[in-house]
Amino acid sequence: MAIKFSRTFLLRKLHQITGIVPLGAFFFVHMFTNAKAMNGAKVFNDAVADIHHLPFLLLIEIFGIFLPLLYHSVYGIIISAEAKVNVVSYGFGRNWLYLFQRITGIFLFVFILFHLLHLRFGLFAGIGLTDIAVAGNASMAYEIIALDFQSVGIVIFYILGVGATAWHLGYGIFLFVVDWGIVVGEKAQKAALYASAFIAISLFGLGTNAIFSFIRPCGLMPSVLCEQTEKGKAVESEKF
Amino acid sequence: MSESNGHLQKKMLSNPPETIKVRIKRRENLKSDQYTDTFEVPYRRNLNVISVLMHIRKNPNTTDGRDVTPPVWDMNCLEQVCGICTMVINGHVMQSCSALVDDLLLESGDNTISLEPMSKFPNVRDLKVDRTPMFDHLKKVHAWVELDGSHDLGAGPAMPQETQQERYAYSRCMTCGCCLEACPQYDGDNYIGPQAIAQVRLFNMHPTGEMNREDRLEALMDDDGIANCGNSQNCVQVCPMGLPLTRAIYETNREVTVHGLFGWLRK
Ligand code: HEM
Ligand code: SF4
Ligand code: SF4
Ligand code: FES
Repeated sequence: MAIKFSRTFLLRKLHQITGIVPLGAFFFVHMFTNAKAMNGAKVFNDAVADIHHLPFLLLIEIFGIFLPLLYHSVYGIIISAEAKVNVVSYGFGRNWLYLFQRITGIFLFVFILFHLLHLRFGLFAGIGLTDIAVAGNASMAYEIIALDFQSVGIVIFYILGVGATAWHLGYGIFLFVVDWGIVVGEKAQKAALYASAFIAISLFGLGTNAIFSFIRPCGLMPSVLCEQTEKGKAVESEKF
Repeated sequence: MSESNGHLQKKMLSNPPETIKVRIKRRENLKSDQYTDTFEVPYRRNLNVISVLMHIRKNPNTTDGRDVTPPVWDMNCLEQVCGICTMVINGHVMQSCSALVDDLLLESGDNTISLEPMSKFPNVRDLKVDRTPMFDHLKKVHAWVELDGSHDLGAGPAMPQETQQERYAYSRCMTCGCCLEACPQYDGDNYIGPQAIAQVRLFNMHPTGEMNREDRLEALMDDDGIANCGNSQNCVQVCPMGLPLTRAIYETNREVTVHGLFGWLRK
């Protein structure tokens, strides 16, 4: 069983797997953490602090997020540049999805770059945003973001960002299961496509509600769904 | 619809035009620039694109009054089994022998038909392309069954009905190139394309052909291999012979994953 494989083959397989783990898995966790904002500033800030207290945080950040993200995004742009887009002549549904995977990917590149540089490194103070990075300031995380979200433009940008990521990951899960030969048949593929759509819509809902949780308590949800602790409310009213 | 005599009544234009216009993308030779000539052809019932081209060959004068060399194209079987007459008609890749003028005009709602050579193959002249890359791909993936010699080997091993049916579907490929023309990932030599992948499946499913299975999988794990597929599934939509190309791709993805990527786990 001495099968040789080429560089491109390995790079492609690596690109496909990095989309799922760690990036896809990270996105699930990330949206779930953000969703905690619906229960108020304190709950959210505690969650951020918990992350800051993870053991080996720097190593997790570098090897679990930055490097895979750098690889997936740069190679993703190379793959996108190779595409000979032909949806005008061949407007089949899957062909559009093929194009959207590339468009969302390129948009994500811009969005994630902004998101990271701003919240992880405190850049972009110039355009009316704070220069305090969330990293290292867990106790003010909620407030920093709430301040950012006073700008309608930023809120829209974030909704688009969450939407594009949910779409890209949702269809990406479908792509992964067919690329690795896990789902083969036509019927099974249809089921996988529905499952992917369900995951994408759920993640989009979760993420969007989290965005609105920085604007009004409990986001877009009725407040019965939220645990508004006395302490949480107190922090809320002290917002600067 | 008169289905009584076993013939399916084709859709026909109810009030056809006197003449149709034909716009042809042309080229002198491999290296020269592409240009367009437009011709006018009287409409007849049951015209197909080849008969339109034959009319132009007899009367090679353009609508702007120039006498030009007759356009060059390939044809052979005239019944959609050889694949050689494939070209891009009104933006879609198909066989010109089975492309009916009535269907084209009905679909576009226009009296002009545009003809272009396939864009993913070397364009030898006018509508003629060189399909050698596809035959090179077949060589690369070992798309044949190895024989020890010419002596009588007796009856071959039996195959389950299911395998036969799937293999029959792949065996219908006529190497026309439609799937490669419509594939957004295929462009010359960066990707071997779905046509060769289907033939890998065909020969890997054969009890004797299976002996070279690993050579074929290995060929598909090369730089231009199966991992370049972007899953747009255009190939299966445009294949005129109805090959289950995406099935071939995903079954092969599974083999490549199990035997190529995770094969070392069985060591
Ligand atoms: C930041 C910029 C990004 C770019 C430019 C990008 C680009 C791409 C491209 C072009 C593909 C299609 C590959 C193909 O069809 O062969 C793809 C697939 C995928 N991406 Fe991304 N991506 C980015 C970020 C992300 C993120 C943040 C995630 C996770 C949330 C992700 C998850 C996936 C998954 C799961 C796939 C499917 C892998 C497969 O084809 O089997 N990507 N990406
Ligand atoms: S599914 Fe793959 S092989 Fe078929 S057209 Fe799309 S990219 Fe090409
Ligand atoms: S697979 Fe279909 S479209 Fe592709 S070359 Fe064969 S017959 Fe033509
Ligand atoms: S001439 Fe053979 S397919 Fe058209």
